[in-house]
Amino acid sequence: MSWDTVFMIMPYLTVVILLSIGLYAVLFKKNLIKIIMGIAIMQNGTNLFLVSLAYRDGYYAPIFTGAESTEMVMPTPHALTLTSIVIGLATTALLLSFTMMIKKHYNSINTEDMRRCKE
Amino acid sequence: MKWEMSRVVRTVTDIMVVPIIVFGIYLVLHGHLTPGGGFQGGAVIASATALLIVAYGSLGKHKKNLSTMEGIGLTAFILIALFGIGYTMFYNYLTGTLGPFGGSLPYYGSNPGYINTGGTVTLMNLMVGIEVSAALSLILWMMSKKSGVISTDEDSEEVED
Amino acid sequence: MTLDIIIENSPTFILAIPLLFAFLTAVLGWVSEKIGEILFGIGLALTVFFVGVMSFEVLTAESWFYVFGAESPSPENITSFFRITFIADGFAVLATITISITAVAAGIYSYSFMKDESGLNKFYTLFLLTLAGVNGMVLTGDLFNLFVWFEVTSVASCALIAFKNYRGRSVEAALKYMVLSTVGGLVVLFSIGLLYGQHGVLNYALLREGIAGSFTFLDKLALGLLAVVFAMKASSVPMHMWAPDAYGEAPGSVTPFIAVTSLGSLFVLFRLFFGVFSVGLDVAILGSLLIVLGALSMIVGVSMALVQSDLKRLIAYLSVSQVGYMMTAIGVGLATLRSGEGFGDLAMQGGLFHMLNDGVYKALLFLSAVAVIHTTDIRSLNDLGGLAHKMPYTTFFFLFGALSIAGIPPTSGFSSKLLIYKSVYLYSPILAIIALVVSIITFAIVAKAFFNAFLGPDQSLMKRRISKPMLWGMGILTVVLIVFTLFPNVVVAEIVDPAVEGLIGSLEGVLP
Repeated sequence: MSWDTVFMIMPYLTVVILLSIGLYAVLFKKNLIKIIMGIAIMQNGTNLFLVSLAYRDGYYAPIFTGAESTEMVMPTPHALTLTSIVIGLATTALLLSFTMMIKKHYNSINTEDMRRCKE
Repeated sequence: MKWEMSRVVRTVTDIMVVPIIVFGIYLVLHGHLTPGGGFQGGAVIASATALLIVAYGSLGKHKKNLSTMEGIGLTAFILIALFGIGYTMFYNYLTGTLGPFGGSLPYYGSNPGYINTGGTVTLMNLMVGIEVSAALSLILWMMSKKSGVISTDEDSEEVED
Repeated sequence: MTLDIIIENSPTFILAIPLLFAFLTAVLGWVSEKIGEILFGIGLALTVFFVGVMSFEVLTAESWFYVFGAESPSPENITSFFRITFIADGFAVLATITISITAVAAGIYSYSFMKDESGLNKFYTLFLLTLAGVNGMVLTGDLFNLFVWFEVTSVASCALIAFKNYRGRSVEAALKYMVLSTVGGLVVLFSIGLLYGQHGVLNYALLREGIAGSFTFLDKLALGLLAVVFAMKASSVPMHMWAPDAYGEAPGSVTPFIAVTSLGSLFVLFRLFFGVFSVGLDVAILGSLLIVLGALSMIVGVSMALVQSDLKRLIAYLSVSQVGYMMTAIGVGLATLRSGEGFGDLAMQGGLFHMLNDGVYKALLFLSAVAVIHTTDIRSLNDLGGLAHKMPYTTFFFLFGALSIAGIPPTSGFSSKLLIYKSVYLYSPILAIIALVVSIITFAIVAKAFFNAFLGPDQSLMKRRISKPMLWGMGILTVVLIVFTLFPNVVVAEIVDPAVEGLIGSLEGVLP
């Protein structure tokens, strides 16, 4: 296996690893903070996936200011990634503030204590 | 309860806040030319707020101003987009005119990066920058209230980028 | 000329107006709460007005594509592949009408229901943001735009659910929903990445052409992921666990609105299946997917509703089972798409008419149940009783909603369910039998709830009176339901048929 192939596969492998770690944390951890960390890891994995999709060997970043060449990659996935980062920030902030309120009401951030809706 | 860090930290903060904010504004204004833009610049400006909060433990009476800034930024963003109606929403009606940001550019290819070429994009970046810096500062402020008691409200929305 | 511009741009006004007024409310609300209230009213009214304008144009003239940022909004201007488009067709009209009716009723109801809360301007902002988000989801013709509106809806509606943040249970329900929605949103983004990597486009119409050209394993994966997420948001059965919590714990006046956001996801699911994926995969397989989910939802939803004693959770489970009807009917329509079978169209008529109905009577049921809880502070059916003596209007509203959800003959619920029974029977008799049995059990459940809460001797449970705006909110829904009941043929011919056409054909041949 040549180094080129390795470098081609590496980002996607990282994506898979990040998504698995995140999903594991979301599914099996009982601590709310750990769940939110899992979600953040999944967000990063997805963003890395989009960015890796946009990579083309030998092409330049799509910045026209002082550009040396007009052989540029399509900027759409980067735009998607930026938007996704912004949205990720909003959701993470909201989740963390929910967690703070849960801590205040239930005095616990363990998911096993969050059963009051079903009583 | 008064939270304040040592004189060294406060002095360094005082010095550093200005260049951070200037760099943030630079990122906002050059959003249509180089990587950066409203959100990134706003986040940089908000990091200055983070420094202030850590060093001084207070934003004074500015919480209300921040909320207003947030709302004004978003409202202006939508209004700028709406002025394009006549063509379509988000139509860049400033480009090619000789207004403040209306300089003309070749459609494709290398350019020297004049700042007055973005049309409405620059204005929108500016508005988003205002909104994001205010919203992020608010979030930081609420989450860093050390008592951990959030009794006022839950969040602020920043949904446009 | 001006009129033309307004008509042509109406899809974007449906989005821009609520966003604008949401932020204006946030700014000017600091001056006084009264201004926020007025701005909210104006924003809601204008949004509904533009929904009306768009519907009128689509239903009387023609549907059109709206391209953002171009010199004119016509589809020839999709010069670059990442221009965002909106689709203004019959299907979008049906969806936005459903959303608007509920939003108006919930908004009017909120005026008096929420007036004791603090920070009302934030409530109005979130309400308008949710409205913009749902409308954006059903109008958009672009995958990534869909993701953005999906997240706007999630964030805003979760914040709405947790609005009474002094109640731990509200925050708990909102947190659960938010974790699910966030992970769901990431999955949507991941599948968008898969589709973009395959075909290099994000527009539905262009993606449809790409998928018709080559349909690979990765496309199938993306299809599966998208289907799972939107079925989850629509509270279809294997992923319905968030729905009773969220509906049960949300502030009363916005509960129907949260329910309508899940209907919005269902609209998106149908749009994606019909518009994009039906050209790639065998429609029988796609249809069966919907039918299986739908049948499960019907059965599980209604059997969980049987054992509930909490009034709002009971209606929440019933709404899960109603979602099953729509999925089954549309699934039958999808499975027989392009096969020339006449009952496929009938099934889709039934399914879409049922969605319109369901949005309205579910809102009516939720709002009247909330009125009961508001006046008595009791949620359990075992402790309620004899309310008909003191609350005659609410009793009538609840009864009408209950009859509609059970599909008892004169109501419009019966008209749409009859269409579903007839067509589904021709596809598979077992499905029709399931639908019929579920309908009967639904009737038993709502009859039990009605008898427990409203009939019997007066027990003097009322602690406070319900105010005029609450009655108005329920009254509007009742009037709409009565119109649907009296003229089902007109509604089907004027609103539902264009929606069926739009769902099947509006993405075909748009591009030059």
